[in-house]
Amino acid sequence: MAVTAPQPGGIADHIHPEPQGFIRKYVFSIDHKIIGIQYIVTSFVFMILGGLLAELIRIQLMNANGGFMTPDTYNEVYTIHGSTMVWLVIVPMVTGGFGNFVFPLQIGARDVAFPWLNMVSFWMFPPAGLLLYASFLVGAPVAGWTEYPPVSLQGGPGTSMWCVAIFLVGVGTTLTGINFLVTALKMRAPGMTFTRMPLFVWAQFATAPLVMIATTALAAALAALFMERQFGVPFYDPTKGGSPLLWQHMFWFYSHPAVYIMILPVFGIISEIFPTFARKPIFGYKMIAFSSISIALLGFMVWAHHMFTSGLAPFLQLPFMIMTMVIAIPTGIKVFSWLATLWGGKIQYTTAMLFAIAFIATFTLGGISGVFLAAIPFDLWAHGTYFIVAHIHYVLVGGSLTGIFAGMFYWYPKMTGRFMNETLGRWTFWLFVIGLNGTFVPMHWLGLMGMPRRVAEYDPQFQTINQVESLFSFVMTLAILLFFVNALWSIRHGKRAGHNPWHARTLEWQIPSPPPYYNFKHIPTVLANPYAFDEPVPYAGLEDELTDSPAPIPAGAY
Amino acid sequence: MEHREPAVHLDRGFWAVTFALAIVAALSVFAWVVAPISGWLPEAANKAQQIDALFRFLAASGTALFVFVVGYLLYFAIAFRRRANDPPDALGVQIHDNNALEFWWTLIPTIFLVILVVFSIKIWAGIELGPNTGLTVEAIGHQWYFTFRYPQINGEVTNAMHLPVGQPVTLRLTSADVIHSFWVPGMRMKADMVPGLINTLHFTPRRVGRYQIICAEFCGTLHGEMDKQWFVVDPPVKYAAWYDAWQKKNSTASNALPVQSNARVAFGAGDAKIGQQLFSQKCTACHALGPFSQRIVGPGLLGVLHDPAHPNLVNGDKATRENVAEILQNGYKGDMGQMPNQTANALSNTDIANLVAYLDTLK
Repeated sequence: MAVTAPQPGGIADHIHPEPQGFIRKYVFSIDHKIIGIQYIVTSFVFMILGGLLAELIRIQLMNANGGFMTPDTYNEVYTIHGSTMVWLVIVPMVTGGFGNFVFPLQIGARDVAFPWLNMVSFWMFPPAGLLLYASFLVGAPVAGWTEYPPVSLQGGPGTSMWCVAIFLVGVGTTLTGINFLVTALKMRAPGMTFTRMPLFVWAQFATAPLVMIATTALAAALAALFMERQFGVPFYDPTKGGSPLLWQHMFWFYSHPAVYIMILPVFGIISEIFPTFARKPIFGYKMIAFSSISIALLGFMVWAHHMFTSGLAPFLQLPFMIMTMVIAIPTGIKVFSWLATLWGGKIQYTTAMLFAIAFIATFTLGGISGVFLAAIPFDLWAHGTYFIVAHIHYVLVGGSLTGIFAGMFYWYPKMTGRFMNETLGRWTFWLFVIGLNGTFVPMHWLGLMGMPRRVAEYDPQFQTINQVESLFSFVMTLAILLFFVNALWSIRHGKRAGHNPWHARTLEWQIPSPPPYYNFKHIPTVLANPYAFDEPVPYAGLEDELTDSPAPIPAGAY
Repeated sequence: MEHREPAVHLDRGFWAVTFALAIVAALSVFAWVVAPISGWLPEAANKAQQIDALFRFLAASGTALFVFVVGYLLYFAIAFRRRANDPPDALGVQIHDNNALEFWWTLIPTIFLVILVVFSIKIWAGIELGPNTGLTVEAIGHQWYFTFRYPQINGEVTNAMHLPVGQPVTLRLTSADVIHSFWVPGMRMKADMVPGLINTLHFTPRRVGRYQIICAEFCGTLHGEMDKQWFVVDPPVKYAAWYDAWQKKNSTASNALPVQSNARVAFGAGDAKIGQQLFSQKCTACHALGPFSQRIVGPGLLGVLHDPAHPNLVNGDKATRENVAEILQNGYKGDMGQMPNQTANALSNTDIANLVAYLDTLK
């Protein structure tokens, strides 16, 4: 494509002046970088709360007869744990957090398409989280993060607060999805054709429509549950003519794509980290990009595999089994491509790379158990047991969270201008990996041998294994605490990183760290795909970015 | 921009590692093929054998794949690390893709998944599309216990589900309140009990024994307590005897039983104050004065006669004053637990009347 670099001072170089004052700059900010960091910080705060709840769960399960909490309290605790980790930690972290900070920089844009909408999206998130935790005051929901009616119709008043809170978060992420889709389509720098987009951009591009479409189904389901609970409108109660399975369809029509919302951006993170530290091009760029899109499409056609035991008509079950297995193919392509990217590399072992490598192993385990569960007869055995708990945690902790840590160590220098401490990082890594596998591997066995999920007490034959899991979970918690200590300490005391410490080739690394308010003095021109390490960095028009002159030219009014 | 891919040379190290991984993968496949799954968890019904066969296939192929992925991951991670004597800007081999490789690693998983789908459908069809023949039994989920209904008998069994070995069964499942899930790990199967909907399971019990029935769908406060009932597979003769006894009990249950026990214990005379003293001397070793879930040896007894959330008595009877008195007199020993009789507890009939009067005040 013949594209000429815009001349300095041309229309693309008009920069609005940076807003002044703490509130405009850091609280009600419209800067995608600040909003991204706001998302990340808020999500980590909720992760501390959700993690605390996880440890309460593990303490309760150290005794087969329970006793640490009453069954009702225990049910509240795991419900809020699951809801927190899905809606207040991983979804906002990978879309609003990394998406906001990294993706506009990677496409050479000054911001997302709708900065004010972006601010609105973010500010739905903290109040929703607080509302969710406030539900503990009136009796939190008890029926798990899936809140199946009719039992959720019996739950305390907190269940209605849960509906409102999740609805609010959902509206925020829907708006983010719209925002990102428009941004990816309209805001790319000149010359950035689809085949020149970094893979993290591809991942966000595939995730955006998923967020947009799926979340609206959840919103409808939540509104109906709220109306039934508060005003008695019978959507789900079978004694009044409602259908409990309606909720399951609506909920999983959202929540299965939500799994891909939580993992596709992380695939993008891994696809950036691997080439950077293996010092070689990502293997099979086109197939990785294509598989992201096909996973997003197929993700809409598999929701009822969560309902094989619910009583679906037999011939409805088959297509869902087959589509679910089909998803394993693009997922496999990604894993094999990452492996091939390592082959022949000159791998540099930073903490980010260690986490990315661990991701391959733990995510693959979660993916394999996912194929197990897609086979209906096996699902009849394992559904609703600790096998499912193990599977979901390998995907979301071994997959998403491991990738999030990789991304944090990778982009922290871009966000703050300083490295996180690598020694502490290595401790975090090893403790995390040991704790993770020690906690979740035995759960596969427990589930198959007869331990159902969401129980405050259980068969005493499983007590020893549960105690071992609890001990490992404390190790994992310690690792996560070390991470927080590291992240806080490094803001002021970390080693200075410079603008491109990893010698990475995507656009965000070609400008200062942290990037200035306007990101790019001149919008650059993209000449090629970023991953050919033996060629010069494929951008034109970046000459002034790392110098003091010329000063950016403010134009127009704030 | 013309780009030429560098030639790929797979060295002897790569093939040696591949060979080693193939051996490990083959060994793990072998381990799953001979794994004594039925020793870990008995196979109570015919479908359990088929599902175990599918599980063997999944576990063997899944382990083999995992061995290769993690094996190559570790090998590449170690073999292709940057060495101390490499220049700081050392680059890896600049390959971008390889169509043949990508073709094969798309095709081979696809073939594998087709096999898996066919295998799964075969077993699935036997479970889902089986004819509704043989003995039909109904299981009903309640908060927080299961009941079972048998042909030609009105009453609901509350302690255990008895079935004869070797006879095909159609189990019809539903719920009286919220969604439960009827799971017998020994059968490898479960089906949800959805209010307003009847789901079915088809199977043939094939091994005499006692298997745990567990609720596998969250159903409220005491969901975790719903693992204390049993699926009992009897020899045909024993089953017939059980069925006859159950039928007889039901035909007389509606009128005879309460009158009989009334005659034995005069409730009117019961003194709740004396009953309270007796309770603290005789009962508190095993029963707490708390909700049902507060278990010492037996369950908590607060509200035993009045709280609608309180499940049936240990022998499956409804918690009425008559039935409580009956258990205190005769005791009970069965699948759900046991209760000593009045001789073992040194309780006179008057004591029982007083205790029942006291239990009646607990609301």
